[in-house]
Amino acid sequence: MSKTDKIQPHWWSKTLAGVFAGFFLALGLVGIFAWLGPTGLTEQITPEQRSWKTQFNMWMIAPLWCLILSFVYMFKTGKQAWLYLGSGAVLSIAIVYALRSYL
Amino acid sequence: MKIRSDILRTYQSLHTWTGITAGLLLFIGFFAGALTMFSSAINDWATPPEYQLPQVKTDEHDVLLQQVLSSSPEALKGVTVSFEESSSPISWYGHGSARGFSMDDQVWHATLNEQGDMITELRHVNELSMLVDYLHRSAGIMGELGHDQAGVYVLGIAAFLYFIALVSGVVFLLPSLVKSFFALRKEKGANRFWLDSHNLVGIASLPFHIIIAVTVIVFSFHDLFYGGLSQVYGDKPMFGGGEAHEEVKYELKDLPSLNQIKQAALIYAPGYEVKSISLSRLKSEHPSTTVMIISDRTLMRGPHNDYVFMNPFTLEVDSSSVTNETGQQGIWGAVVTSFFGLHFGSYGGELGRWLYFVMGLGGAFLFYSGNLIWLEKRRKKQTLEQSRSSHFMANLTIGVTLGCAIGLAGVFASSKWLSLADWNINIAYMWIYYTLFLGTMASAFILGAARFSILGLKLFIVLCLAVPLNSLIAIVLPSIGIWGPDSLADLGVELGIVGFAMAALFALKHVKNRVYQGEENSIWYCPTVSKNQKAVRLV
Repeated sequence: MSKTDKIQPHWWSKTLAGVFAGFFLALGLVGIFAWLGPTGLTEQITPEQRSWKTQFNMWMIAPLWCLILSFVYMFKTGKQAWLYLGSGAVLSIAIVYALRSYL
Repeated sequence: MKIRSDILRTYQSLHTWTGITAGLLLFIGFFAGALTMFSSAINDWATPPEYQLPQVKTDEHDVLLQQVLSSSPEALKGVTVSFEESSSPISWYGHGSARGFSMDDQVWHATLNEQGDMITELRHVNELSMLVDYLHRSAGIMGELGHDQAGVYVLGIAAFLYFIALVSGVVFLLPSLVKSFFALRKEKGANRFWLDSHNLVGIASLPFHIIIAVTVIVFSFHDLFYGGLSQVYGDKPMFGGGEAHEEVKYELKDLPSLNQIKQAALIYAPGYEVKSISLSRLKSEHPSTTVMIISDRTLMRGPHNDYVFMNPFTLEVDSSSVTNETGQQGIWGAVVTSFFGLHFGSYGGELGRWLYFVMGLGGAFLFYSGNLIWLEKRRKKQTLEQSRSSHFMANLTIGVTLGCAIGLAGVFASSKWLSLADWNINIAYMWIYYTLFLGTMASAFILGAARFSILGLKLFIVLCLAVPLNSLIAIVLPSIGIWGPDSLADLGVELGIVGFAMAALFALKHVKNRVYQGEENSIWYCPTVSKNQKAVRLV
């Protein structure tokens, strides 16, 4: 394996990508699930159902974010981490924004 | 299982650095957390037998409640009726509240005497378990931030590192996992033994640790997550319905009997037992009742019980942590409830509590052994002189772990004596804990980890053994005013403390060995004659 194929440490840039881009990606994914998933935001639901579903949605952010943070170091470089996680975050948040506006 | 070597290396560094930064904070969290499993026993142990007023007959709660409500306006805001034998039948806050962290809460207790007259007593809340819980949630880091303790956020960040440490630990252990999972190689030296047991405990309790890491993050940062979620939701409400609430004025005389409230809760949650009923805002337009119910057969949401929330006048159930066919918790509620229950260990009754106690201590062991492995790996193998960072980390490890244990043991040893004087006992607890913790830290750095570990363990054993000794004094000389154990739970607390002393005694034997007869190039080695050693170094 040549040196360029190996994982570069890039601790700071990868960690920051995991923290910031990772948070918005996790939030965006949960957001899409909140709108389109079962017991979604467009459905007619009782206050009790809504309360539990909102709590569930909130709970899901943490494990997603944690998984992203744990595996961000698999990216070869910090730049790649930012590229993939960043565009994932932008895309998922954009979808949420669209859902928010049109549904 | 084969994993690329660069991935292994990356995750090994990741494990090392996340572990070493978060480990000691998490040690305190886990050690104290294991103790919180028995918080009600600890409170019962720490308060004199007459602290809780005698329970009344089952049909007398209503009579007492009516008297309390008509004579104390404060009770209308919030009053708790307890059916448990070991607590006062009725209590309400005279100062402070059940929520939040406060050290000068005062609670009114009420009961009926033999003539059927109401007796009330205002008592300071002596909650030894509150100190333990405070250490559990904040690792003893002082200061407030927003509406929570600063330490809660620090532990929240530590929990992220902890999660990463778990994942990275598993990743770089995978290649050798099958081969050496159950291997505990004693003959290959102490370091191998520590490493093997670290891996064994870590892998065996991995699901528990993942749950704890995730729940701690949510407990610390739910405001951030709800904030983000509210952006996602846009105009959609997160809670409540926005439907117009009927404004009804309720009359106190229409309040159903406690038995009716009890029955309504049990119809909603069959198979449970009612522990207590809290009534609040009885004079307002939004009165509410929380019925605390317990069952050993299910996963409970709270640390000690499940809840049914209802309107006390109409007995309409608003919500509950219990899944019920007529309720609307569904799968979402079940998952959320499970997260809480799996953190609190509130399932399986006593057995569940013991299991969590053991796993909590196992977690503390994981972090302590992790630090030991780090120290062993970094030390220079061929020389007596070790690097400053090795010594610093060894001192810190011993200072924090023994500091926390000695601090808590000191509080338990002095608790009953402290209650004799007329001061706020909760503040006295804090003083004792921090004095001992900081004193231990300082001594570890002054004497060095190796030498201090012997002294510290001895001090810990003495403090632990002072607890049953106090009880002996209480039985022999009852005039002093301290009290011995008067229930099975109390006895359990004392036996537990003696157990800790025994474990420390066992550790002491090994530590002495390590310090006096261990490998000379280890950072734990100290020759018996210390003065000569110092003199040589100065020259």
